[in-house]
Amino acid sequence: MLTLEGVQVNFGGVQALKSASFSVAEGESIGLVGPNGAGKTTLFNVISGVVRPTAGRLDFRGTSLLKLPEWKRARLGIGRSFQIPRPFGHCTVRENLLVAQRFGAGKKDPKRIDEILDILNLRDKADRDATTELALTEHKALEVGKALATEPSLLLLDEVLAGLETSSKRAFMERLAAVRDRYRLAMVIIEHDIATIAALCPRVLVLNFGQIIADGSPDAVFRDPEVIRSYTGETTLAEAS
Amino acid sequence: MTKTLMNRIVLTAALAIAYVGVPLLLGGNAYVLGLIVAALTIAGVAVAWALLGNLGGMVSFGHAAFFGVGSYTSAVLAMKLGVPVFAAMLLGGVGAAVSSIAMLPALRLRGPYFALAILAYAHIFQILATEMTAVTGGAGGLLSIPRFPTLLGFEFGEKLGGYLIVLTIVVLAAFAYDAIRRSTWGLALKAMHDTEVATRVVGVPSTHLKAAMLVLSAFITGVVGAFNAHFISFLDPDYAFSSGWTVLPIAAAIFGGYRTVWGPVVGALAIYLVDQLLFKPILPHGHQMILGVLLCAMILFSPGGLMPALRRRPVKENRHAHA
Repeated sequence: MLTLEGVQVNFGGVQALKSASFSVAEGESIGLVGPNGAGKTTLFNVISGVVRPTAGRLDFRGTSLLKLPEWKRARLGIGRSFQIPRPFGHCTVRENLLVAQRFGAGKKDPKRIDEILDILNLRDKADRDATTELALTEHKALEVGKALATEPSLLLLDEVLAGLETSSKRAFMERLAAVRDRYRLAMVIIEHDIATIAALCPRVLVLNFGQIIADGSPDAVFRDPEVIRSYTGETTLAEAS
Repeated sequence: MTKTLMNRIVLTAALAIAYVGVPLLLGGNAYVLGLIVAALTIAGVAVAWALLGNLGGMVSFGHAAFFGVGSYTSAVLAMKLGVPVFAAMLLGGVGAAVSSIAMLPALRLRGPYFALAILAYAHIFQILATEMTAVTGGAGGLLSIPRFPTLLGFEFGEKLGGYLIVLTIVVLAAFAYDAIRRSTWGLALKAMHDTEVATRVVGVPSTHLKAAMLVLSAFITGVVGAFNAHFISFLDPDYAFSSGWTVLPIAAAIFGGYRTVWGPVVGALAIYLVDQLLFKPILPHGHQMILGVLLCAMILFSPGGLMPALRRRPVKENRHAHA
C-alpha cells in the first residue's frame, strides 16, 4: 500500500534521510527502530506530509503523495501520532476525536467515537479537557485515538509507549494489538523497546544515519552485527559522513 | 434553570430592549441615538475582528482596510452606477471580502508577523484610494453619498433608521460568529490555535479555514464600512482608512471579551458611550486617557474582558466555554 523509493531529506547541510526505500503491505505491522537522530521521526514526517522530501518517490495505494498536503494524506488513509502528544487546545477528549473524524473521515459517527474511547480506555475521560486533565498514558491513548478517528488504513505511531511504566506499557500494547486487529490496519511503530517491537511486529526496519540498514524479522534483525554496532555506537566516521 | 436557557432569556430581553425599548425611549434624542449608532459601528467591526482573532487565531491590525474598501465600494457603486443603496451595502462587503484575497499570502505568517503584514496591506489600500482620483475622488473624497432610502414609509436615512440597520448588521454578525463557533469548523479552528500541524495531520485544511475566517471577517467589516458611508454621506481616504477603525474595535473587543460572542458588542457600547457621555463632558481634551486607564485595568484584573467578569467566572475555569 505504501512505497518509498530513494527518499532523501536535507535540512540545510544536514542529511536527515539519505535514501530510504521500503514498502508496507496492507495490514502489515512494522517496527521502526534506530538510535536517536537516525531519522525515524523525519521518515514519519515525510510520509504524513509534515516535511517535503528533497528527492525520491512516495506512493500510497497508487497515488503519489509528493504534492499532497498533510490533510489530503490524512483523508487518503494515513493516520499518525506525535512523539510528544499534541492534544487540541481547550477541547475535550471527545471534541479532539470529533474534529479528527469530521475532517479526516468526512463524517460524524458518534458510535465509532464511543468505540474508540472504549478500546483506548478513555470513555470516563471523554468530557475532560484534553490539554490539562489527562495523565501521560491518556495523552498517548488520545494521540492514537485521533489518528483512528480519521479511519486510516495505515497508522504511523511515533513512540507511543515511550515514558510509560512497564505495567502501563503492557496494557497499552494490548490495546494497540486490539486496535490493529479490529480495524485491520497496517501499522508502522517507532519504538526503542526491542521486546515490545518483537511482540507487536513480525517485521522490523532499522534506520541509522538516515539509511535503512536492516529489514527482516525481529529475531534476524536484532542479531545483525551492523544493527548491534549502530546501537552500541561503534560507527566509523566514514559511515557517519 | 440551565445556563443555556438563562443565556437565551438574557439575549431575548437584550434584543427586545434594542429593537423596541431604545427606539421608544431614545428615538427622539438624535444626539444619543447618533452616539449609539457610532458605538454599534465600532461593535460591528469589533465582532468581525474577534471572529478572526478568536476563531482564526489571527490578530489583525488592518481591519481599517476592509472598512475603507467596503465604504468606497458601496459609495462608488451607488453614486456612479446607480446601484440601490441596500444592494450596494452588501456589495461593499463583497468588495472588502475580495480585497482580503490579496492578503491570503499573509496567512502563512504567524503572530506579530501576520499583524504587521496586514497593517502594511491596509496602507496599500489607503494609498490606492488616494491615488485613484477618477473613481474615489482622491484626497478630496466623495460628497453627497446617497443615504438609505425610505421603505414602506419608514425613513431608513434618518438616525433611527440607521440605528435599526446597523443593529441588524451587528446582530447578524454575532449570530454568524456564534453559529461558526458551535460548528465542527469552530471546533477545528479552536483546535488549531496551539498546534496547527496536529490538526492538519487529521485532515483539517487549516489554511483554508483561516482564509474563510479572513474573508468572512472582511465581508462583515466591509458591510459595516458601507453602512457608515451611506449613514454619514461623506468619505475621504484619511477617514475611511483611519487607524481608528482598527484600534477602537480592538479596544472594544478586548474590553468586552473577544473570546465571547457578545463581548465585543458590549465592549464597544461600554467604552464609546461611557467615554462620550461621561468622560468627555468632564475632560473635553484628553478624555480618552481615562478610557486607556480603564482598558489597562480591565486587562490586569479581568484579562478575559467584561463579559466573563460579569458572569463571575474566571477565564481559567471557563476554558470549555471559550471558542
